[in-house]
Amino acid sequence: MRDVAIVSFAQAPLEQSPGQTETLMLLPTITEALAAVGMTRRDVGFTCSGSADYLTGGTFTFVQMLEAAGAWPPISESHVEMDGAWALYEAWVRLQHGDVDVALVFASGRASLGASLRETLTFQLDPYYLAPIGADYVSLAALQGQAVLARDARSEKDLADIVARRYQDAVGNPNAAVSGSTTADELLAAEYVVAPLRAHDVGPAVDGAAAVVLVAGDRAREVCDRPAWITGLDHRVDPHYPGVRDLASSPSTKIAGERAGVSNGGVEVAELAAVCTPEELVLAEALGLGDDVAINPSGGALVANPVMATGLVRIGEAFRQVHDHGKQRVLGHASSGPCLQQNLVCVLEGPG
Amino acid sequence: MDPVQFMSHHTAVEYKIPEPSLLTIHFGEELAKGRIIGHKCPQCGKVYMPPRGYCPLCVVETTEANEVEVSNAGTITTFSVITPLQYQGQEETEDYVQATLLLDGADTTIMVMRMDGIAIADVRMGMRVRAVFPTAGGGAASNSQLIARGMGLGDAVDHWEPTGEPDLTREQIAEHIL
Repeated sequence: MRDVAIVSFAQAPLEQSPGQTETLMLLPTITEALAAVGMTRRDVGFTCSGSADYLTGGTFTFVQMLEAAGAWPPISESHVEMDGAWALYEAWVRLQHGDVDVALVFASGRASLGASLRETLTFQLDPYYLAPIGADYVSLAALQGQAVLARDARSEKDLADIVARRYQDAVGNPNAAVSGSTTADELLAAEYVVAPLRAHDVGPAVDGAAAVVLVAGDRAREVCDRPAWITGLDHRVDPHYPGVRDLASSPSTKIAGERAGVSNGGVEVAELAAVCTPEELVLAEALGLGDDVAINPSGGALVANPVMATGLVRIGEAFRQVHDHGKQRVLGHASSGPCLQQNLVCVLEGPG
Repeated sequence: MDPVQFMSHHTAVEYKIPEPSLLTIHFGEELAKGRIIGHKCPQCGKVYMPPRGYCPLCVVETTEANEVEVSNAGTITTFSVITPLQYQGQEETEDYVQATLLLDGADTTIMVMRMDGIAIADVRMGMRVRAVFPTAGGGAASNSQLIARGMGLGDAVDHWEPTGEPDLTREQIAEHIL
C-alpha cells in the first residue's frame, strides 16, 4: 500500500452571515486547508466531496458546491451522497492508484433548511419501511439507549455524565454550538424528547463545511512538519433494518476497528461521531477503548452536528491531535444511518 | 405463497424557503430601483449577473467593491415557445416566448425572460431586446424572495421587447447559448 497522510484540515466558522450559500461556506474553507500547506487548487490531483441533496431539498446541489473546488479547467473529481468521511475513503483509494499525489476532500450540509432533520434523514435513507412508522433517527437512538441501559445496568445519570463531560471538553472549541460547565443533575431536570433521551442527548444540527488535504509519500513530509499517516481505514455496514439488530452493540464498528488495526498498539485519542449519547457507549465498547483513551476532546458530535461533515470533522479533529498536540496514535470515526448503521474507522499515526 | 400486499402511504418532506443572502437582498433592492448589478471578477474580468459573491473560474470571492452596473438591454441567445397547458390556476391561455438573455456588460446569461411586443414567429437568436419595467413594480423584499428561489429577476421586469437594433451574429453569442 502507498503511504498516505492527512496534512491539513479546515472547518467553516459556525457563525455565517444570513442566507450564506453552501458554496461560499466551502470556498474560503478549501482555500484555507490548501494554503496551510502552501498549495493552491492547481496542486490537487483528485477531488472528492460528501453531501446530501435531501438536506436542502435541491437537486444536484453538489454541482454548485464543486464551484468552490474550482472545476475549470476540468478536474478529476467524484462525490458521495454521504458524510465526507466516505469521500476521504474514496480519495485514499484513488491515491493508491499511484498516479496522483494530492487529494482534496470536502463536505458540507445545511440542515437548517429542512423543516425537521428527523423527517428529512428518515426519508433520505428509508422512505419505505421506517418512514411510515415514524422511526426516525432520534426515536431509534432512544430504543438503542434503552437497550444499552438495560444490558449494562447503567442509568440515565450515566448518559448525563457523558454530556456534561463533552460540554466541558467543548469549552474553547469555536465550532461547538453548546459548551460550558453543567452537571448531570442539571441535565436530568430537562424533559424527555424521546425517553430516555433529552434534548442534550441529541447533538445540535448545524450548518457546516470542512475540508481535508491528503498527500501521498515523501511529498507529505515536504509540505507538512507533522503529517498524520493513515495506517488503518475501513468501513462496514450492519443490516439495514434496525429490527434485526442487537441495538446495544455495533458489529460493523467492531469489524471496521479490527480491520483498521485499532487494537494493534491502542490509541491515545478517539474522535467518535456519536450524534446521540448512547452511541458513545456502544462505540467505545465496539472499539475496545479503555479508560486511558481520551474520547472526543473536541466535545464531539454532541456539541455540534454539522450533518454530512460530522464524520470528516472527527477525522480532522483526530489529525489535529497528531499535528497540533503531538499525539502519536489516534482514531477518527464516522457514522451514517440510524443507530450507527454504517461505520468508518480511520487510524492516524504521527511520524514518531 | 401469500399474495403480495400493497399499502398506500402519503408522504411529504417539508423545507423552509431559503433565506435570501445579504448579496441577494442588495441585488433585489437595486432591481427595485431599475438598476441591474453584477460582480466583476478582479482576476479574469468576467461579470456575473446576478452576482454570486465569487468567480467560479478563478475561485476567488467578490464583494461590493467588485460591483458594476449592467445594461437593461441585451441579446437573445436562445428561447422557447411555451404552449400553456390548461390546469387549475393556469393564468396563461396563449403561446408565448421565454428567452435566455445576455445583457450588455454581463458575461452570464439570465433565463426564463418573458418576451412581448413581437410576433412569436419573429423572435430569433441574436435579437436585441430591452427591459420594460412594470408601472407599479414589485418591492425589493418581494424581488429578493423570488431571486433566492432561483426566479431570475423576481418581478422587477415586466417583460422584454425588441429594440430594433441589428441582430448580433451567431459567432458573437456562441459562448453564451446556454
